[in-house]
Amino acid sequence: MAINRFTTMAYSEADEMVFGNAKKPVKAGLDLEIGAGYTTAEVNYAPRPEAGESMEKLISEYQRITKDIMARMVQVGFPSVVLETEHVQQMTNNPSWGAAVAHAQKTIMEEYHEEYGIKCALRHTPGDIREHKEFMELRGGKMDVVMESFEQIAESGADLLSIESMGGKEIFDYAVLRNDVPGMLYAIGCLGTMDMDYLWQEISSVAQKKGVVSAGDTDCAQANTAMFIAGGLLDKNLAHTLAILARAISAPRSLAAYEAGAVGPGKDCGYENIIVKAISGMPMAFEGKTSTCAHSDVMGNLIMQCCDLWSNESVEYHGEFGGTTVQCWSESLNYDCALMNTALKSGNEKILRDLLMASDRFRDPQAYVLAYDNAYAVGEAIVKDGEDIFLRAKNAAVACCDTLNNSEGLEMTKFELGALEKATKELDAITSESETFLSECMDRFKKEVPVFKPENYAL
Amino acid sequence: MLIVDKEGILIRYNVKMEKSMTPEEAAAELYPKDELYMPIAEAIFEGEEDDVIEGLEAAIEAGRDPIALIDDALMVGMKVVTDLYDQGVIFLPNVMMSADAMLEGIEFCKGQSDEAPVQKGKVICMVAEGDVHDIGKSIVAALLRANGYEVIDLGRDVPSAEALAAVKEHEPIMMTGTALMTTTMYAFKEVNDLLVESGITMPFACGGGAVNQDFVSTYSLGVYGEEAADAPKMAEAILAGADVAALREKFHNH
Repeated sequence: MAINRFTTMAYSEADEMVFGNAKKPVKAGLDLEIGAGYTTAEVNYAPRPEAGESMEKLISEYQRITKDIMARMVQVGFPSVVLETEHVQQMTNNPSWGAAVAHAQKTIMEEYHEEYGIKCALRHTPGDIREHKEFMELRGGKMDVVMESFEQIAESGADLLSIESMGGKEIFDYAVLRNDVPGMLYAIGCLGTMDMDYLWQEISSVAQKKGVVSAGDTDCAQANTAMFIAGGLLDKNLAHTLAILARAISAPRSLAAYEAGAVGPGKDCGYENIIVKAISGMPMAFEGKTSTCAHSDVMGNLIMQCCDLWSNESVEYHGEFGGTTVQCWSESLNYDCALMNTALKSGNEKILRDLLMASDRFRDPQAYVLAYDNAYAVGEAIVKDGEDIFLRAKNAAVACCDTLNNSEGLEMTKFELGALEKATKELDAITSESETFLSECMDRFKKEVPVFKPENYAL
Repeated sequence: MLIVDKEGILIRYNVKMEKSMTPEEAAAELYPKDELYMPIAEAIFEGEEDDVIEGLEAAIEAGRDPIALIDDALMVGMKVVTDLYDQGVIFLPNVMMSADAMLEGIEFCKGQSDEAPVQKGKVICMVAEGDVHDIGKSIVAALLRANGYEVIDLGRDVPSAEALAAVKEHEPIMMTGTALMTTTMYAFKEVNDLLVESGITMPFACGGGAVNQDFVSTYSLGVYGEEAADAPKMAEAILAGADVAALREKFHNH
């Protein structure tokens, strides 16, 4: 597949974006259309630890999970649902295991679709296992296993193909713990994008060959690491202004999947997806207030503002008072979707979108930049130099800093402001020459990060 | 577009509770008074490796013992950093950069002497078998080193047998295990069982990602660590005589 960079915005203005509608809707699975005028819940789950002991145990666990979700959907009268299975490592390392699970799940979903007409689709997300104990090995034998996994799950019932790829993480982990803004830019914006280009051309080829959907990636490995380290308001591990800087830089990186043939819906934990949607016009999954089972964030309402799929991120399968966890969380997600779909049907979608956004807009620098109007502005900065992967990542970072430096109504701590000031100065000092930046970073990180292997990026 | 005043909707408690003193001012109050040690401690706080070495050279030239400088200057400087981190005055990246500078200083001091420094105790750090997510382990290891412990870093995706062999070889006061995923954290039980079979009673502090207190409580040596910063506090408690039960009493908050 060829790489086609985005150099224009899909939406003419930020206000055009709403939940449940994408410029380029995607048909998938059993009569489902994503971003075509309604929102759908995407339920995500993890098997209990002991289920990983054998393929048979895993299949049985996922059958229980799937039946529980589908049964609850019809019991409460919800019209559509997406199930996402993020592979445990055994399922990707042994492609036949992942395939067997996909087949078992899809069989149950087909039965429910046939009997009740419920629209549904199955997303499978192999693990990015392209590494050895000491080093990442993004190209080579492990890549072959990943691609074999994609082939087999696509043949066995998965409708949407995704992954949370890790390109650049070896540099990012080093940089983020040292407030190293150029390092974050190099890791996510440059190395991350290079790996995305490579990986997603392959995934999109598989999807095309098998007649399924090449759905998209998320910068979970980097931007979410920054968000989790940053934590809550009182945590002292990373300035939230730096966490959102990593997020802004991750937008052009995650965009690369859609430049290499993916069509959406993007993965749920990509909080950068609001920027990606503004640029690509493709449907996106999001998670927030209904993914507190997996993690906390500081923008739970706001991030729902323009979702097409609404996810719970992940929950371990076990019993609760209200049923199993997947039943409880799928029901909560679907009630959120019912509200959004009511707003869409009654013409009130922009009012609800704005209420969601306004309730969190000033909660945190991360929320402020991801408010759809500010996210759109970051998108414009990216497409301005859309053909240059370094420059567009730098533009995203600069636009993020500008948004915060010119913010109105957002209170920040001295520490957050100090980190922002330092980042702004460091970005100002970075060259605008792509080759110079890449060459300087290569020299520096080869010395400072022993596990950095340039050959992973064909460098 | 709708913009609503945040009053009554949210409170940024971090802004409300922010201390008036800057980190530099707070650090200045804690530096050692000795004129040779103070610049070393300050360089540690600033994370300036070159300045640390420069300070150490000056102190050695003035007749100070290189090995004694580790405790008297480097560790004192690092304690300023860890104390301010514990008080919420500075953030983790400051600790990481200071720890890098301190470790470089320690290596320099060791190179200037035939004697070996005495450390507070050994801790083994590992990531569960099948799990390659190691940033949590890196933070734990850095915080332990920053607090004066010798860290044996087994890296990520560590087979349970390898963890057992390392414990037998190094006889640490504690081992830490981190994991991101629910399926890989199951390996902790396996490690625990191997340790118990070998008659080892050392605490096995586990945390990260999907790991929770309920799960860690299911194996006999397990102590749940909710935050990386708990690791040096646990090590401190062990040196003061705490066993697994005492550690659970102190660190199991849920």
